[in-house]
Amino acid sequence: MKNVENRNKKFLGSFINVSSLGAIGIFLVLITLLAIFIPGHNFIRPDNIKNLLSYGAEFAIIVLGAGLLMIAGEFDLSVGSVLAFCSFIFVKLFSLGINPFLVAIITIICGAVIGMINGLITTKGKILSLVATLGTMMFWRGITVVVSGGEMMPSDTSEFKFFTSIFNGKIKNFFPSQALWLILFAIILGFILHRHKFGNWIFSAGDNERAARSMAINTDRVKIICFIIVGLLVAFVAIIQTVRLAAFSSRSGTGLELEVVAAAVVGGTSLRGGKGNMLGIFIGAFIIVIIKNAFVLARLPYELTYIAFALMIMFSVLLDLLIENSRKKFV
Amino acid sequence: MLSNESNPNSKELLKMTGIHKYFGKVHSLINVDFKIDEGENVGLVGDNGAGKSTLIKVISGYHKAEKGKIYFKGKEVRISSPKDSRALGIETVYQDQALAPDLSISRNIFMGREPVVALGFLKKKVMDEESMDALKNIGLYLKSPNITISTLSGGERQGVSIARAIHFKAKLVILDEPTAALSVKEVREVLEFVNQLKRNGIAVIFITHNLYHIFSIADRIVVLSHGEKLADIKKKDTNVDDLSELILRGTIG
Repeated sequence: MKNVENRNKKFLGSFINVSSLGAIGIFLVLITLLAIFIPGHNFIRPDNIKNLLSYGAEFAIIVLGAGLLMIAGEFDLSVGSVLAFCSFIFVKLFSLGINPFLVAIITIICGAVIGMINGLITTKGKILSLVATLGTMMFWRGITVVVSGGEMMPSDTSEFKFFTSIFNGKIKNFFPSQALWLILFAIILGFILHRHKFGNWIFSAGDNERAARSMAINTDRVKIICFIIVGLLVAFVAIIQTVRLAAFSSRSGTGLELEVVAAAVVGGTSLRGGKGNMLGIFIGAFIIVIIKNAFVLARLPYELTYIAFALMIMFSVLLDLLIENSRKKFV
Repeated sequence: MLSNESNPNSKELLKMTGIHKYFGKVHSLINVDFKIDEGENVGLVGDNGAGKSTLIKVISGYHKAEKGKIYFKGKEVRISSPKDSRALGIETVYQDQALAPDLSISRNIFMGREPVVALGFLKKKVMDEESMDALKNIGLYLKSPNITISTLSGGERQGVSIARAIHFKAKLVILDEPTAALSVKEVREVLEFVNQLKRNGIAVIFITHNLYHIFSIADRIVVLSHGEKLADIKKKDTNVDDLSELILRGTIG
């Protein structure tokens, strides 16, 4: 394993590692199998691919942030609830006749603030992020249901053509703008993670927080910033989704946290922090999206996906433990 | 007791007077005085719970003493965080806390002190080259700056930490049990690395339970017991047997 790791590092540079190669492998195998075996070749139909790229990109954008946070050593289980809450904020403010660009900015700021609150509770409140964000997950979902009365709210932004095209447009009637945003965010966050000193602080804080602190890295600040990034991305996706669906639903984002963690983990992100890479996270997100799509096309109930993702996470934990134990034997 | 007496040319690097540290009701350090000169090698010994780790954590800024003064190069200083002690040129090499196992050698050596271009982007080539140079400087020859710390042996890991300290021109390096759980060969490697520190004119505080290791490199030995300083002797004025007797007596008494 040592030699394979070193050879890979020489060939592929700093953006990839062994576990993301695994993710690429799984991805290729999956799409091949699905292309062949889904009845009526529904998988590779342009319509299906277009949809996949749209909501797949929306999902993947959130996974980028969540994966970054996981590398820093923390979790955010509140993403689904915050998605719904931000969607509500957008719809509510827009319905008051405020300019949609302004509404978008306010929504994004809300997301950032919510992320910062998650970060503060975790670092200054010294509560395990898993627990803290479990709490905020319930809190924001509760607030959303109460203020919205639990109902769906329509929201049509189509008269603002430019605004709508930014968030839900299509290039050459095929390539969705969501996918462009995804690529942009992936490149930015990828460079920050792998080529910027802040990225080294993220890895350090996640891999050995004490070492990072004794090297005078402010790990609290690093984590809070990662939480804020998650909040920003979730709010951004909330806007995209609301524009695409032209509605708000208080149920939106339910189960998202499970899928997001599964995606990051499939992409080679360690649950213990300190390990992961942007490409793997990107691919992991699409693997999850494709699996969901496969279940739909095969007419399987979507609750089964919960089982699939839970199993993937547990498998990854076991694999992690095995590797950790074998490493201890050598050292 | 003043090491300046025997060598009037040696300059005092760190002096601590009247240090008291409490953890709640526990009085971990009781009126401890400690000093070390430039380039001097001091072994800090004492049984478990004597206060050795606490003392070095105060020096490295991880803990703050409730009472007492610290002087660095003759000037009074306030060390309230690892940043402060690092700014003075104090580097600490802890057992598990020095390196990130899943990160590369290069990233570890420059952790928190990454060389960057505009906007903070890493100078990867500089990091890779300088980290290899830093290792070669202490006689540690490793394959590549990109291999992860977890693939290194215990002795090599200590080498990386020590190379890091030298590279950043530390004036004082504190080693917390650097030879614990190492094989005989690795211990020899580490002690040789510590000698390199001395050759670079860096002062060393060395915590250990192994008196033989101390005797092979220390100039002076400080014994702590139950939070107090029990003894401060030059190596040439004592031997392993007397020293262990002293520590034992301190533990019981």
